[in-house]
Amino acid sequence: MWTYALRRLLAAIPTLLAVITLCYLLLHLTPGGPFDSEHKLSEAVLANLQAKYHLNEPLWKQYLLYLNSLLHGDLGASFRYEDWSVNDLVAKALPISAAIGGGSLLIALFLGVALGTLAALKQNSVVDYFTMLLSSIGSVFPSFVIGPSLILVFAIWFKLAPSGGWDNFAPRYMVLPMALLVFINVATIARVMRGSMIEVLSSNFIRTARAKGLPMSTLVLRHAMKPALLPVVSLIGPLAISSITAAVVTESVFSLPGLGKLIVNGAGNRDYTLVLGLVVLITVVTVVFNLLVDLAYALLDPKIRY
Amino acid sequence: MMTFRFAKTSLAAALLITWGASFAATVPAGVQLAAKQEMVRNNGSEPDTLDPARAEGVPANNVIRELFEGLTAADGAGKIVPGVAESWKQTEPTTWVFKLRQNAKWSNGDALTADDFVYALRRFVDPKTASEYASSFGIFFLHGKDIVAGKLPPSELGVKALDKHTLEIKTPYPVAFMPDLLTNTQLGPVHKATVEKFGKDWTKPANIVGNGAFTLASWEVNSKIVLTKSPTYWDAKNVQLTKYTYLAVEDGNADVKLFESGENDMVYQLPPGTYEKYKAQFPKEIRNSPMLGLRYYSFLNTDPLLKDIRVRKALSMAIDRDILAQRVTADGQVPAYGVMVKGINGADVTSYDWASWPMDKRLAEAKKLLAEAGVAAGTKLKFSYNTSDYHKKMAIFAASEWKSKLGLDVELEAMEFKVLIKKRNDGEYQIARNGWIADYNDATTFLTLVQCDSDQNQQKNCNRKAEALIDQGNQSADPAKRKALLTEAAKMIMDDYPMLPLLQYTVPRLVKSYVGGYTATNSLDRYRAKDLYIIKH
Repeated sequence: MWTYALRRLLAAIPTLLAVITLCYLLLHLTPGGPFDSEHKLSEAVLANLQAKYHLNEPLWKQYLLYLNSLLHGDLGASFRYEDWSVNDLVAKALPISAAIGGGSLLIALFLGVALGTLAALKQNSVVDYFTMLLSSIGSVFPSFVIGPSLILVFAIWFKLAPSGGWDNFAPRYMVLPMALLVFINVATIARVMRGSMIEVLSSNFIRTARAKGLPMSTLVLRHAMKPALLPVVSLIGPLAISSITAAVVTESVFSLPGLGKLIVNGAGNRDYTLVLGLVVLITVVTVVFNLLVDLAYALLDPKIRY
Repeated sequence: MMTFRFAKTSLAAALLITWGASFAATVPAGVQLAAKQEMVRNNGSEPDTLDPARAEGVPANNVIRELFEGLTAADGAGKIVPGVAESWKQTEPTTWVFKLRQNAKWSNGDALTADDFVYALRRFVDPKTASEYASSFGIFFLHGKDIVAGKLPPSELGVKALDKHTLEIKTPYPVAFMPDLLTNTQLGPVHKATVEKFGKDWTKPANIVGNGAFTLASWEVNSKIVLTKSPTYWDAKNVQLTKYTYLAVEDGNADVKLFESGENDMVYQLPPGTYEKYKAQFPKEIRNSPMLGLRYYSFLNTDPLLKDIRVRKALSMAIDRDILAQRVTADGQVPAYGVMVKGINGADVTSYDWASWPMDKRLAEAKKLLAEAGVAAGTKLKFSYNTSDYHKKMAIFAASEWKSKLGLDVELEAMEFKVLIKKRNDGEYQIARNGWIADYNDATTFLTLVQCDSDQNQQKNCNRKAEALIDQGNQSADPAKRKALLTEAAKMIMDDYPMLPLLQYTVPRLVKSYVGGYTATNSLDRYRAKDLYIIKH
């Protein structure tokens, strides 16, 4: 399995390179440069700025210089946030996005699996209807509708939590954005878990186990849970990635200083190095999560061998 | 004669602008202050830098204004008051002498001297610093233009420390508005030892040394900047606020939600189209002050269709600014018919005679002009604007005016801001949305928009006769004569219809009723925390 993991990681290098190259070209082909501003710069100032960021070099040379910096772990200097390097910016934003996105994904997994299982066990009951209603709302309403609704109710009407902002991982600032992400993810996970559990419960090996007189709790937890979890596990990768993309909206609604805000601002400001740095990060996270999901499959399903 | 008249003027000016020592928050009699003097305000977005020389955007300038104090400053009402300089004098038409206060200190306790200004100003114009404002402000200092262009070394800048507390500034021509200009953060002092020791990291909270009323306590990128009252500031005893926090919220709706939930005391600017709603909802907290800013549309004067002045004039005449202000933008802005706006010093506001005509008469004239120019109904025009609901609403209104009143076919082209800026600078547009906020309170800041050879002239128009008047005005040491010449020049340029002036900016926002010191007269919207205080509530 370790050989497989290593092989997958090595295979990810060309993917990463392709993504960087494509992103690099697209950024430089986009009209409007980082130094186009309301105050038109003098030629001498512009020349200095271009020299500082190597923009006076041919594109291929700039690209190689960037790759060289990347190999040394340096994501470069930000064009927009002049006092910070991209490494600084990512180091500040990543823990916030990870705490909000990762934390909410873990909670959503726990709640989604529990609700989905309960709904499967109590089909056509109140629990089942509630779970399906929750899934429908979470699927139908986008985060930019649910987010402001949470703010209206919990921040403005009842003043239970701040409507946004961030204060050094203080839980009160994390509650609402996490609630939003949990809500959206629970909807998906519960729906998948319910369907999967119903399917597993109707399979022959469960019927046999039931005929042997096993208590329901043992039946579900020991025998049905593992195979039922497989479709949920395959969801984790895309959900983790979508947590980053959903962060763009969530971080905007709740004014969080995470990666989502950085990437949106970076693109608008033509902050080439910042956007590239974040693209590298997101690609690495995607590769690693997909690999982890594949490895988790092997643990859950003995039939799978690498 | 000229010397005598100048001497009289400068003496009067010197007497008028030499004040006493204390200009901080004036708390009116009877107002009880809250025990907790802490305030939170939104800054619109993350500052691009905290290095004064390199600051460009409003968010950066706002924070820097608290951390660094220049020779002069603007008080809460927008009036020019002493900063580090306690007095100043225009000793000759092109020479200003500033007397620095003896008790001005850096936040690390070092004494602040005239050399600090010499160092900072040379650094500012040095092309190596790559300041975005160097070409805008550098030209007002002797040799500044050539230094910014890389033709002379920074040491040639017309700035000299006569002694530890006296600074001399030489200008290439009489710059009557120098005290106003010097309120800009880019022209303030920086602490040489700190800059040289820490390099690009000198603005980090652990390193930065400033001379303002506040010091940098923490800086969380894209989240907030916390400032605390500086004990070394020369006027610390009159500074009421002890903690001042800037948020970096870009979304206008999120900003208002923070205000409503009590997390924010001052909104950056209301989201488009919400002014009337919030005016009704928060009658005691709504604020809307006029600002030295102009919304306008640029005509590319070299375009085959628009190079005909009759076409440009007809397009300008057809837009009903009253409806635009009252029904479309509906946030208290004032119609504009010239490049100058109300409140600007150094020139009078000019207008077109047709501005007061009934719309029928205006339209008849506009149609006649188009017919004379050979522009038939259905002629296509392309209008470029940057994506924003506000600009879109205005663009749709203008397109509908030109279509319904003149029969022209307008294609609206929305694009990102960076793309629009590039197109405007490169002259790759026909009609484009534009806007300008004054950098300082003098007519020349607006004239740069329409002057020959100006980097900011995106219309590519040029009127050499007006240019001569501007030069003549700028050479004059008589403020009244200068004003008359610049007004005449502005009118002459606008009679060429290089651009389409639309509205004068206002700043609609919400400010908690317990925030004292906020006025409706700060026309550059440059408030300093030292002028604000929290009333007991």
